[in-house]
Amino acid sequence: MSPITDTNNAAVRTAGVWKIFQQEAEEVRAVRDVSLTVDRGEFTALAGPSGSGKTTLLNLIGGLTRPTRGQVWVAGREVSEMSNRELAKLRLEQVGFVFQAYNLLPVLTALENAEFPMLLQGVDAAERRARVQELFARTGMEGLEDRRPGKLSGGQQQRVAVVRAVVSRPALVLADEPTANLDSHSSEALLDVMAELNRDLGVTFVFATHDVRVMERSRRLVRMVDGNIDSDETRA
Amino acid sequence: MHARVLVVLAMRNLRRQLRRTLLTASAMIIGGGLLIFSLSFGDGSHEQWIDSGVRLGTGHVTVERPEFRLRRRIDDRLPAEVRRTVEQAFASPEIAPFVVATSSKLSINGLASSAAGARPAQIMAVDPVQESAFGMLDEQVAEGRYLEPDDRLAAYVGAEMVESLELRLGSRFVVQAQDADGEIAGQLLRVVGTFRSGVPEVDLSMIHIPLATAGEWLGSEEDVTNVGVLLNGSAATARVADRLERVLADPVARGEARVMRWRDADPALAAAVAIDDFGNYLVQAFLFIIIAFGIVNTVLMSVMHRHREFGVLQALGLTPGQTGTVVLIEGFTLTVISGFLGVGIGMLCTWYFLGDGLDLTAMMENLDEMTFSGVAVDPVIVPLFTARRIVQVLVFILVVGAMASIYPALRASRIDVTEAMKFDR
Repeated sequence: MSPITDTNNAAVRTAGVWKIFQQEAEEVRAVRDVSLTVDRGEFTALAGPSGSGKTTLLNLIGGLTRPTRGQVWVAGREVSEMSNRELAKLRLEQVGFVFQAYNLLPVLTALENAEFPMLLQGVDAAERRARVQELFARTGMEGLEDRRPGKLSGGQQQRVAVVRAVVSRPALVLADEPTANLDSHSSEALLDVMAELNRDLGVTFVFATHDVRVMERSRRLVRMVDGNIDSDETRA
Repeated sequence: MHARVLVVLAMRNLRRQLRRTLLTASAMIIGGGLLIFSLSFGDGSHEQWIDSGVRLGTGHVTVERPEFRLRRRIDDRLPAEVRRTVEQAFASPEIAPFVVATSSKLSINGLASSAAGARPAQIMAVDPVQESAFGMLDEQVAEGRYLEPDDRLAAYVGAEMVESLELRLGSRFVVQAQDADGEIAGQLLRVVGTFRSGVPEVDLSMIHIPLATAGEWLGSEEDVTNVGVLLNGSAATARVADRLERVLADPVARGEARVMRWRDADPALAAAVAIDDFGNYLVQAFLFIIIAFGIVNTVLMSVMHRHREFGVLQALGLTPGQTGTVVLIEGFTLTVISGFLGVGIGMLCTWYFLGDGLDLTAMMENLDEMTFSGVAVDPVIVPLFTARRIVQVLVFILVVGAMASIYPALRASRIDVTEAMKFDR
């Protein structure tokens, strides 16, 4: 079945999305009837206490899990009914991920990790190298291209992860607690990088975070409580 | 492009867990080496059994009348025309390259008697020169000598029969059998040599006499009951037998001849080889089941250890199938390299024994009694390599390795990405 195209040109749109997990006899409603639109170029934070559903919402948007009810559109494409293969293609072409634990592939160098999505997309070698070098220069990773993740600091690894997330020019970057394992200096530096990429390249960022620094830097703050949106505040 | 990325990931992962990779590879290399080693020695010993059996009997392929094997009577002589056709076929370019020796024999049942008593005897009338090249009995002289071309009333007798009839070298004794006219005819013979074949029933019943002597005694002139061929390996049996069946199509259709392969002529030996092969296969299958579990365990451990990585790969855009393929490539690469190395090392180790063989004399007590399905077992086993066997072993190892990688690959492809991302090793 071909996906329904959302006429709204938002980076992300959810409509009445629910995610219910069955834990033994108990039903856990992780996300409850969430309708949210994130326009292209936004720098949005989903905030809330642990268990408020922000990571689950991020996973639903990224096609890592399927909604129990409701619909999710990413870059205009409805993802809820997509096959695993279609979801993989969507993630490859439209979504970049930044994880709390960096999640670089330990067998690849920093440069190889960064260019990995482009390898999968079939981008030619010269183009790959040029794009990675440019972003490494922007993120202060020059000279560290050949290091394996184990030889990089946490902040450096997260910068590689950010480059990997944006290098293939996705419609959307989903960042789940990207600063949680970083010290304040590294966190600020990383946020600077992401803000710059958002401003200069127009990359849409959606964060799930506890970090006040991330909330302060976001231009839109969506607070979640018990799986639902409690407030949605856009700043000037 | 995807395929190259998957291969790179698989190769890097194998190198990353080098110790684990080497341990699994070592198990497979040793297993592959042992497999080649044991199969080569198994095949070698079977070839020796077959060689011993066919030399003592009627060759890898023999032509005889259909009734001969049941009755062993002089009436079951081959027509001269059939004998000529067979001997011409042996010399033909299709068969000659495989021929080591041929032997035309008159083989009948009779009675041997002396002053001490009488015994049933298998009387084999042979051309001494042909038989020396064909059989092995001429090399197993206990006393005296084997038959010679000028011998007239000579007999080469099994040592057990000599003892039973209380004969000795130079003694005379009488053999009786039905002659070509259907009458009972007797012949006085002199013992020129005795033999010990290692097979008690042969030593107790077998008598070799010159074909010319039998012709005069039985009135059969130069007629024979069998024309057999000894080949340079049992593998050529089917090809030679098929060819003979084609050239003898008319006599076979008329019921005047039939072509027998050694398996049909000596079903006990064929069964012994099959049973021994089955036993070997069983042991080898167990060995490889154990190795397969080792592979499953290693690859599965590697998969469990990399749960989060597989989650990341899928989050980055790999499909579940591609994720599983990475694991399959790892398992298959490990198997291919280990398989080839194992087979190579096994061949090297076996090659060392190709010349003189492996001497198991020290492990075999009472060698005189060492027989198997009527065949004397040689304590020196010379291994045998065949391309077919090597290909079989390689395919077997590759199939085992591939099968052992399937379950871990399925596990890797079926992960829940969000759960995998939570996984903290």
